[in-house]
Amino acid sequence: MVDTIKGWIENNIKGDPIIWFIAISLSILSILVVYSATGTLAYKSYGGNTEYFLFKQTFLVLLSLIAMWVAHRIDYKYYAKISRVALIVAALLLLYTWFSGVNLNEATRWIEIPLINQQFQPSDFATFALVINLASMLAKRQQNIADFKESLIPILIWCGVIVGLIALSNFSSAALLFLTCMLLLFIGRVPVKYLFMLIVVGVLAGIIAFKIGERGETVVNRFENWLNPTEVSFQARQSYIAIATGGIAGKGPGQSDQRNFLPHPYSDFIYAIILEEYGLIGGILVVFLYLALLYRGMVTTAKSERPFGGLLSAGLSFALVLQAMVNMGVAVGLGPITGLPLPFLSMGGTSLLFTGISLGIVLSVSRGEHTENLFRTKKKKAPQLA
Amino acid sequence: MLRARLAFLCVMLFAGAIMAKIFHIQVMEGEKWRKISDEIGLQYRTIKATRGNIYSDNRSLLATSLPFYKVALDPTIADGDLFNQNIDSLTYLLSKHFKTHSQQYLKRKIVNARKNKRKYVVLSGKKINYREKKEMATWPIFREGRLGGGVIFEKVDKRFRPFAGLGLRTIGYLNEDNYGAGLEYSFNDKLAGKNGKALFQKIAGREWKPLHNGSEVRPEEGLDIETTIDINLQDVANAALLYSLQNLSADYGSVVVMEVGTGEIKAISNLTRYEKNGKVDYREIYNYAVQGVTEPGSTFKLASFIALLEDANTHLSDSVDTGNGKFKYHDRVMPDDKFGGYGKITVREVFEKSSNIGTSKLVNNHFGANPQRFIDYLYSFGLNRPLDFQLVGEGLPYIKNPSDKSWSGTTLPWMSIGHELLQTPLQTLTFYNAIANDGKMIQPILVKRISKAGENIKSVESVVLNKKICGKSTLIKVRELLEGVVERGTARNIRDSHYKIAGKTGTAKKVKKGGGYKREYYTSFCGYFPADKPKYSCIVVIDNPKGYRQYGSDVAAPVFKEIADKIYSLDIAMHDPLPENVEPEKGIFPVIQAGLQEDLKMICNELGIANHSYTEEEWVRAQRSTNFVKWRANKVSPEVVPNVKGMTLRDAIYILENNGLRVRHEGVGRVKEQSYLPGVKAIKGSTITLKLG
Repeated sequence: MVDTIKGWIENNIKGDPIIWFIAISLSILSILVVYSATGTLAYKSYGGNTEYFLFKQTFLVLLSLIAMWVAHRIDYKYYAKISRVALIVAALLLLYTWFSGVNLNEATRWIEIPLINQQFQPSDFATFALVINLASMLAKRQQNIADFKESLIPILIWCGVIVGLIALSNFSSAALLFLTCMLLLFIGRVPVKYLFMLIVVGVLAGIIAFKIGERGETVVNRFENWLNPTEVSFQARQSYIAIATGGIAGKGPGQSDQRNFLPHPYSDFIYAIILEEYGLIGGILVVFLYLALLYRGMVTTAKSERPFGGLLSAGLSFALVLQAMVNMGVAVGLGPITGLPLPFLSMGGTSLLFTGISLGIVLSVSRGEHTENLFRTKKKKAPQLA
Repeated sequence: MLRARLAFLCVMLFAGAIMAKIFHIQVMEGEKWRKISDEIGLQYRTIKATRGNIYSDNRSLLATSLPFYKVALDPTIADGDLFNQNIDSLTYLLSKHFKTHSQQYLKRKIVNARKNKRKYVVLSGKKINYREKKEMATWPIFREGRLGGGVIFEKVDKRFRPFAGLGLRTIGYLNEDNYGAGLEYSFNDKLAGKNGKALFQKIAGREWKPLHNGSEVRPEEGLDIETTIDINLQDVANAALLYSLQNLSADYGSVVVMEVGTGEIKAISNLTRYEKNGKVDYREIYNYAVQGVTEPGSTFKLASFIALLEDANTHLSDSVDTGNGKFKYHDRVMPDDKFGGYGKITVREVFEKSSNIGTSKLVNNHFGANPQRFIDYLYSFGLNRPLDFQLVGEGLPYIKNPSDKSWSGTTLPWMSIGHELLQTPLQTLTFYNAIANDGKMIQPILVKRISKAGENIKSVESVVLNKKICGKSTLIKVRELLEGVVERGTARNIRDSHYKIAGKTGTAKKVKKGGGYKREYYTSFCGYFPADKPKYSCIVVIDNPKGYRQYGSDVAAPVFKEIADKIYSLDIAMHDPLPENVEPEKGIFPVIQAGLQEDLKMICNELGIANHSYTEEEWVRAQRSTNFVKWRANKVSPEVVPNVKGMTLRDAIYILENNGLRVRHEGVGRVKEQSYLPGVKAIKGSTITLKLG
């Protein structure tokens, strides 16, 4: 029995086991914390039936783990091929959302997928597509990376368009993506002087979005709130209370009081709830898990034989962990309120799904040269293993 | 890879910053934030659902929930001057209002609490209503409000019954631990609704402020129940019973009025003697009609006679020798009420005179060899089963079985006259109602509709317990017997010429504790009316009347009669057409049928119609004489309902309202019918319906 399970795992679960471990740990924690934090939301929408969100989140977590598993079975080189198409689709979706999206929390970021009735955030998809495409473009141009006209112009155009489109409705996501792109270009050996150019492009895109987008005022307000030293904003105040009352060991699972005050305790401020319920210990553990994830992503990059694999792994892990750091930073008051979810931990459909696929791709890279593929027959596998 | 390492290092630095910030918040600022947290004080608290109302059959409120207030004070809030200058006048007003404690006591209590920094002092156990609260809010200290003076008005929903004690035991109650009686208890699952929940934040003292963060579970309001109780009949029944109980100084009494065709209980009154500080009063304390099981006595003879008529070839004209009024079964002597006995009488007379010896002899002769057969009849009438109707806590009837250990040679004769068995008054009434309802036995019904905001949620239909309790010829015979009781028998004192009453008296000696019978009586009368076309059935029981009149006929039957009279006068549908001489002459006098003599005379004189008056009365009625119009007196006295037939609506309203009645009218023209018969006692404030045409 044990052998068959072992055998199945060996045959079907490939790639870095530590990344798998981290992903599953965060998933379990996610179910616990979301269940606790949705207490108030459940009262609001489902007449006190908190189990609704427990089941929903468990289902979504399982779905994202399955997506991760599927993604890791696919040869990562395949992603390079579809990334350009994905990017064009993403751009169109962003435009569509801008004109006719669902307004949630005063920002049009969502489109409703018909039939399954699930809300879908195109910016998640766009971020994901851009990072893969960027890794692909950079890998192709590694030989003449210093050639501005040939190599950098197309890269910068794509970055500018996507970041700009996202910035129209979601300034924080755009800023984060911009930062991720910078990091990726930096790692992709783009000369530092060109990176400064990229900053110029980014700032320009930012200003345009700021002028014509709907989020300009919010951004200014949030920065003002954050920079104002005398007055702590309501949200930050509630978050600090959560952190302070959590103490070293926390109040225990499901014992949060601040979930009743914090807006979106199951998403934007989930880290505050973790600190309240699981204390400093839980908080440090979560930070450590993300750092470990990033570290394993770096290890994968180092081990990768192809530049594309390395850049892909680095780009995706950085995108994910940077977002995590920003979310946690906001919760403890290191930055203005952003509205970014905590990858893998926050409640939310598409965010969770793309996190799973991202990690799946990193795992796919970590497997090295694929000897077999989900879509290939087993025939080819035998001679190569021998 | 150097660049990747650099990037990684940056992220690690940021992670370090996050942990440093957490440490800062928890340790450096921890005290501050924890203190703020303590002040927030959150709690999920229940929001009580509003309890549903109980209505009468025409949607008059019988019970509803109204807000009342508990008055408390936080004596630490008012500042020194305000407190010291006003505490005397405040406590004076409080003491005067509540009358529970002296001014000095209240003042001491409040001042001590202030000294000890107690933040909550209840000022009286009595709750005040909204009007009183408004007034109190203007008193010294109180008028500074919750935050300036420290007054706390805690809202408590209290059950309010607009008709006070009327039918109190049947409307019932519910106490804190959800136990109670009557409709309030029986229909609690419908009335209660479902409590909601919401997050509340503590504010100074014991006050909680709802947070309104959208996390509430809204309370579900309770449903209303609409009863079959007719508040007019209830009032009539209650008044008649009370009057009689007071006169007789009886222990308790009970009346139930039921609508024959539907089994709807239109009135139910239970009054128990209640002595406090030497003052005797009667109150609704126990629901004897529903819960009180007793030996019914002679009213049970009806069941015996139905069994006899069903089983044997018994004719009402057969004769029975009842002897000299004493008859020995084994070691027990059965007496008849008449000294010296009834001698040889017919079966009909046995019932009408309520002869114990006659009844028991008939039953003993027919069923003595096989008492089980008699018992089976009683069982088939459903007399051994509870009615299992809408009120919880019904008394359980008991009919002995020959196989029981306590069955003896004297059981059958004594059972036949209503002893050695147990019934509740309502069970007896239901049985009599079946006879009135052509043999169809219907489960009594007290709640006919469950509604919400006037909209029907569920209608309750009456359940037929037994389609036919006896054969047609038996039915005709027993109805004849029951009418005979009032026409010629024990209840002839309540005979009425307007309408026929059918029924049976009952006088049972009460069982002593530990066996034997006391010289105390349980009297009853159960019957229905009008006998030829039964509309209502009714039972009256009066327990332990004092004085020398102690028989059912003298005690309970007159109460029945009084109730029946009033119901009869209230219910126009029951009336026979009135005798000719009271009617205005139809078709002859279009304008001058009845009215003010002066007006009518003037009209006739103007039109040249010969008229002549026979009376000095102000109000007259026209009658045709050979060739002139005669004015006959139409006496109007303030105590009784006047005859307004033939009058214009204006005249009728004038007279009736002067007599304290309220007028409702239908149609146009002159008064054709009036719902209260002329000559009936006018009940102030009740509504009379006039049909015009």
